[in-house]
Amino acid sequence: MDLGLSLKLAWRALARNPLRALLTMLGVVIGVAAVVATLAIGQGARASVQAQIASLGSNVILLFPGTGPGSGGSRGAQGSSSSMTIEDCAAMARECPSVDKVAWSVRSGGQAIYGNNNWQTGVIGTTEDFFTIREWPVELGTTFTDSDVRNSARVAVLGATVVENLFGTENPIGQTIRIRNLPFRVVGVLVRKGSSAMGTDQDDTIILPGTTVQKKFLSSNAINFVYISAKSAGEINSAIEEITSLLRQRHKIRAGQDDDFFIRNQAEFASAAEATSKTMTLLLSSIAAVSLLVGGIGIMNIMLVSVTERTREIGIRMAVGARGRDILSQFLVESAFLSLLGGAFGVLLGVGISVLISNLAKWPTSVSPSSIALAFGFSAAVGIFFGFYPARKAANQDPIEALRYE
Amino acid sequence: MTSPAPSGAAVPVLRAEGLVKTYVMGDNEVRALRGVTVSVGRGEFIAVRGPSGSGKSTFMNIMGCLDRPTSGRYLLNGIDVSSLDRDALARIRNREIGFVFQGFNLLPRTTALENVEVPLIYGPLPRGERDARALDALSKVGLADRAGHFPTQLSGGQQQRVAIARALVTRPTLVLADEPTGNLDSRTALEIMALLQQLNRDEGLTVVVVTHEPDIAQFMSRALVFKDGHLVSDTPNPAPQDAARELAALPAEEVWT
Repeated sequence: MDLGLSLKLAWRALARNPLRALLTMLGVVIGVAAVVATLAIGQGARASVQAQIASLGSNVILLFPGTGPGSGGSRGAQGSSSSMTIEDCAAMARECPSVDKVAWSVRSGGQAIYGNNNWQTGVIGTTEDFFTIREWPVELGTTFTDSDVRNSARVAVLGATVVENLFGTENPIGQTIRIRNLPFRVVGVLVRKGSSAMGTDQDDTIILPGTTVQKKFLSSNAINFVYISAKSAGEINSAIEEITSLLRQRHKIRAGQDDDFFIRNQAEFASAAEATSKTMTLLLSSIAAVSLLVGGIGIMNIMLVSVTERTREIGIRMAVGARGRDILSQFLVESAFLSLLGGAFGVLLGVGISVLISNLAKWPTSVSPSSIALAFGFSAAVGIFFGFYPARKAANQDPIEALRYE
Repeated sequence: MTSPAPSGAAVPVLRAEGLVKTYVMGDNEVRALRGVTVSVGRGEFIAVRGPSGSGKSTFMNIMGCLDRPTSGRYLLNGIDVSSLDRDALARIRNREIGFVFQGFNLLPRTTALENVEVPLIYGPLPRGERDARALDALSKVGLADRAGHFPTQLSGGQQQRVAIARALVTRPTLVLADEPTGNLDSRTALEIMALLQQLNRDEGLTVVVVTHEPDIAQFMSRALVFKDGHLVSDTPNPAPQDAARELAALPAEEVWT
């Protein structure tokens, strides 16, 4: 018996009882949808983590004052510590051969007002090199300069989200906005970066000269973190070594004492994010696997019922010459077909869920052909695996008994 | 009980030699056949009779290669099939034997044509030729115009004729019919007997019919009677009645076909 005919028979057997077929498929539908959606979310997250890490700028090293998370000190220490100075940063740029640029930064926040519009947003105070290191150019206007930083100028570079909320479609360049009630002149608008892996909107920010933020908003000379770029990707490690030894020397830290700063680079961010997303994917995949298992048992159950109901049909087919393996393949094709159909619905549902999640929760998702192939493969395997026992039961019927079955 | 094959049967289609069939049911042994030897020649039309429990059903199951004897030999067209495995028996059922059942046993929700095609699915005939072959068989039973009907749309007699077409479609050497008229009224039963007689006469088909009705047995050319697992009588019927003529002699009545 050829496959086309088997499929036709399988379709007919299922079409005879469409509601039952649908309910039987449901387990596989949910399982496959879960697999597809999980993989889509996982892959989307991974892709956007990579993009975000790349959006940090290439060869970027981040330096935080404080003892860091590894040594038992609380991470809150990084903001309050004043162990880093602007002079340290200048020294790093000057004396470390592997370091290209250094941009010290402080973080604040506040309400920005333009006309009748106001918007609560984050503020980063930094230097001109920030835009180069983060590879974040302006779309309109210019960035502020190092002389603006020296003079604590009241100039602002806005993220795209801030512009949207304060100005709408108006050109903000040259306009004056108030941040924490202080007037700032808008000199530039940054190109859009999109949301980060964590779902935060990177464009919802205002970049100001660092000294202005320190003096007007924070009343402190402390530095929150430092963006450093190595001259090349291969020089990241040597840059870290040079910075560490320079800062230990400048901060007079003796051998055996802990650093009063800590350094993170892209690779570490990437591996941390990767580990998180792997754990998530594993967790969700195991839920999906359980669902597929339950779906498979549902298929087995219904196929057993179907074999019993069709005992006489089996007897007739055997009497006219069907071999055990013909009956086996007929029922196997039927359960595989059921499961694959469920898989197809599941893929559709999974893609739908992914699209919904990326639209509603603003989570990036990406459905890959390989995940669809995987889901299909799984559902076919479930159908064949759980269909085998009922099919074998059908194939092993005694034709005389089967013909007598009422 | 042994009896020689009657004249006119040069090559035996069936040859049973000392067939014994014993079932074990719990602690009891049921001896359904206790040594049956018989030959059936090509083109014979045979009635198998006997009370229930006489072993005639077991005999038919073995003849139809649905079952294997416990001991003894069964030769179909001169080939010993009593020790073949399941798959080989299925192949013989497909190529050599056509079954007709009391309850018709058509597949539900399947058209007459597709029902007739079922044996071809398991045979060597290429897919493209099956429709034509099945339609040919349907026209032999006079139902070519009902090819697209479902069993529920057909009368009992028509369903049985579809079943006969299904038995004929692989051009078997032997048709085994188990109480083929048991579920039919006497007029329809006559129609079915007339059809079987005609196929026996025109196609040279060997037909074996299990029946408990003496009325039906009188249309066959030979009667085998079973009792307690033995073949107790093997009687030729030199002048079988003609079902078609009897049908014509019946008073006019609404006819199904």
